[in-house]
Amino acid sequence: MIALLGPEIAWYLGVAAFLFATGAFGVLLRRNPLIVLLSLEIMLNGANLALIGFSRNLGDGGGQIFALAVMAVAASEVVVGLGLVVALNRKRITLDVDRLNTLRG
Amino acid sequence: MLIASAGNVLVWMVWIVAAFACLGSGVAVVSFSSPFYSALGLIGNLGSLAVLYLLLSAEFVAAAQVLVYAGAVMVMFLFVIAYIGPRSESPWAGGPSWQAVGAVLASGAVFIEIVVVIGLKASGQLSHSEHVDGTFGTPAYIGRLFLTDHLLAFEITSIVLLVAAVGGVVLGAHSRRSAEEVPSL
Amino acid sequence: MVWGAWICLLSPLVAACAITVGGTHLSRRAAGWLATSSCVVAFAGAVASFVGLLTHTASDRQFISTAWTWISGGRYQSGLSVIVDPLSVFMMLIVAGVGGLIVWYSIGYMDGDDEERRYFAYMALFVFSMLLLVQSGNLILLLAGWGMVGLSSYLLIGYWHQRPTAVAAAKKAFVMNAIGDATMALALFLLIQQGNSLEFGVLGGDFSSTVANLVALGLLGGAVAKSAQIPLHTWLPDAMEGPTPVSALIHAATMVTAGVYLIVRTHAIFEQAPKVADVAAGLGAATLLVAGLIALVQVDIKRVIAYSTMSQIGYMFVGAGIGSYPNAMFHLMTHAFFKALLFMTAGIVIHALTDEQDIRKMGGLRQLAPKTYWAFLVGSLALVGIFPFAGFFSKDSILAAAMAKGGAFGYILWAAGLAGTFLTGLYTFRLLFVVFWGEPSAFVREHFHPLGRDVVAFSLAIPVGILGVLSVVGGWIQFSPWWHPVETWLQTVAEPIVSPASWQEWTSIALSLLLGLTGIGVAWAIYGAHRVAVPRIAWAQRTLEHKFYFDEAYDALFYAPAVFLANFLRRGVEQPLIADSGRDLGDDTRDLGGIVARAQTGLVRTYALAIATGVAVLAIVFVIVK
Repeated sequence: MIALLGPEIAWYLGVAAFLFATGAFGVLLRRNPLIVLLSLEIMLNGANLALIGFSRNLGDGGGQIFALAVMAVAASEVVVGLGLVVALNRKRITLDVDRLNTLRG
Repeated sequence: MLIASAGNVLVWMVWIVAAFACLGSGVAVVSFSSPFYSALGLIGNLGSLAVLYLLLSAEFVAAAQVLVYAGAVMVMFLFVIAYIGPRSESPWAGGPSWQAVGAVLASGAVFIEIVVVIGLKASGQLSHSEHVDGTFGTPAYIGRLFLTDHLLAFEITSIVLLVAAVGGVVLGAHSRRSAEEVPSL
Repeated sequence: MVWGAWICLLSPLVAACAITVGGTHLSRRAAGWLATSSCVVAFAGAVASFVGLLTHTASDRQFISTAWTWISGGRYQSGLSVIVDPLSVFMMLIVAGVGGLIVWYSIGYMDGDDEERRYFAYMALFVFSMLLLVQSGNLILLLAGWGMVGLSSYLLIGYWHQRPTAVAAAKKAFVMNAIGDATMALALFLLIQQGNSLEFGVLGGDFSSTVANLVALGLLGGAVAKSAQIPLHTWLPDAMEGPTPVSALIHAATMVTAGVYLIVRTHAIFEQAPKVADVAAGLGAATLLVAGLIALVQVDIKRVIAYSTMSQIGYMFVGAGIGSYPNAMFHLMTHAFFKALLFMTAGIVIHALTDEQDIRKMGGLRQLAPKTYWAFLVGSLALVGIFPFAGFFSKDSILAAAMAKGGAFGYILWAAGLAGTFLTGLYTFRLLFVVFWGEPSAFVREHFHPLGRDVVAFSLAIPVGILGVLSVVGGWIQFSPWWHPVETWLQTVAEPIVSPASWQEWTSIALSLLLGLTGIGVAWAIYGAHRVAVPRIAWAQRTLEHKFYFDEAYDALFYAPAVFLANFLRRGVEQPLIADSGRDLGDDTRDLGGIVARAQTGLVRTYALAIATGVAVLAIVFVIVK
């Protein structure tokens, strides 16, 4: 049986929280859709780290399964997101999320 | 005991390096003005996260992280960036907008709240971690879980991937024929 | 007998529905014959009822046939029922008989009109409505018939709907009648509340004098409106805008006689409220004088006859008001004969002169249309009440009854009636002399075209001939000093409460005959022989030509204030409060929406920020709560 070496899970969770907040900050702030997508990846990875941390803390593999599922979702999201970016580019639309305001009321 | 404490110090050192690399590259991804550098920063972030996963005995996830994420996904990112050309954007140009202020406040609030929750409300349960055996996190362990307890999640994940693949093809196929037939955005 | 009544009631309705549904599948002529034959069937049904009643003893002559329970609420119940008794059969015979002749006459008169089918459907509906009115076995059904008569008259007066005057006249008739309908409905409400029933029998119940007075007043209001008595009479002359047979139908067989019928039918309540009965008689007397005076200056052939109708109905009101019901009904019958005759003859004149109605353009028609002249003469003599024509027998007995009532009021009524006789002679023969005597005017020579010998002419001439005969012999049924079968017949339903003595009868007969002949003589002197110039008294002439300023007074009293109030409400209340409030509400909502819409920037980042803020706030809430 192996005990957890190094810092406690709380530290990992702190890192995860920081990553999540950083990613959210990027999503909220940046206007380039590519960087928004990259920031989203940061958020997802923060969540993944928290999942795997809890998985280790509880000794339950379910968290890792969840993390893998999140990875798959992230990959899907990247596919669609990048597809949209490419389509935007093909329409000669400036890559700036602030220009995409068709939903304006 | 000595070996254990030496291992502990080693793990601490690795953790510190990986964690700071992780945080630094995360900040870098958000703050670079060129998406190209941001993407490179994300690769560093993913790699350092993989190290952290290894420290948490999640070997298969760490491997998947490197192979799938840092490998396949980031390569796709870089292809797209190279395809449309790197365009710089200065997020802070023109002074702080209300959106920027809101972004700082909201993300800061989320971070502080999580830390507060970890520190105040859950520290008792987080101080002790379960002991796990050597198979925890191995591909065999994950595979067994996937095909027994979490079969449904596995199948649903595969469907999500399939749908995403179809979506990518649709978006790409339309844009390949003519610019006019792109679904309106 | 009861089945005869049902046939009588329903056959005009069937005809009206058939013509309406048949539409253009029926030829115009066929529609006319259908309506006429339905009236003939109705008359046959009425005769069957009459014969059926004759087989019963006098005290046993009342039958009520209920088809089904029409209205049932609480203890109150009304059936869809017809009554067969001497009074209703009497009216059925007049309505179906004279109505049938008029519809028949219409076939000729309306020949070539664009919408003959509609006309005949309306006519059949009118006859049905009137039959419903006189046959209904309770007051609520009577009110339904009452309203339907108003509706039919509205439709027929406004039949030529392309004429604005006709439409206005139709509206006027309808509104005036609606006033009467309303007072009648109020009276019925009071009856339901007090007596819990609307059967005719409830009227004889024991009511306090206030209730009796109010009910009688309400019913009198309905009668006054429908029968065009002062003060609700102004619609009748205007109703001349309708086709001439419609005028004949309204004036002779249906509609205006309904008021008299109503008073006779509900005499029990009037006998409990003698003051209201006196009001009815007084209104009748006033109307007969006022209408007679106005008729002196009218220049429209139909309007003269219309005012004479008002005047004659005034006699009937006097008769009904003083309680001489059989005489009122008898005068109603003879009046139906000679008034229909006069209208139809006038219709022939109008027809022959290409729709000209102004008597100033007429003259000398006696030479061109002698038969028409004789028919008109018979009708006029009957109207004035010259022996041996119909009016003589009926009018005089009403005057005698007024005398028998006695007292100052009775003698005032009697004097008014006598004065009316003189006026009747004067205006009737003024019309006759102006239209038929003298040399044919230039207009007549130019426009006159005689009737041919085709179906049109026959359907015009035969009903006129029948009515002419009836106007001569119809009055002989009853000669009150010596024989009175009408009184005997109606006695079980409406026992007269005055019985004139023999000397009163003979005095009235002599005086009214004398005054009638005097009127004729004066008319002859002025208009026939031109021995005397037409008296010109400017103010009197003006007053009469303005019909005693009733229309002007109503305009000033009701119409102008109503218009003023409506305008004020429109500008002061509706426009700012209702019309604008809708727009303001819309504007405000849109402005509010504009403010809210600013939050909808369309930027995904904004939405994401909103979500993040929400998450942060919720997290704080959870931390605090936990």
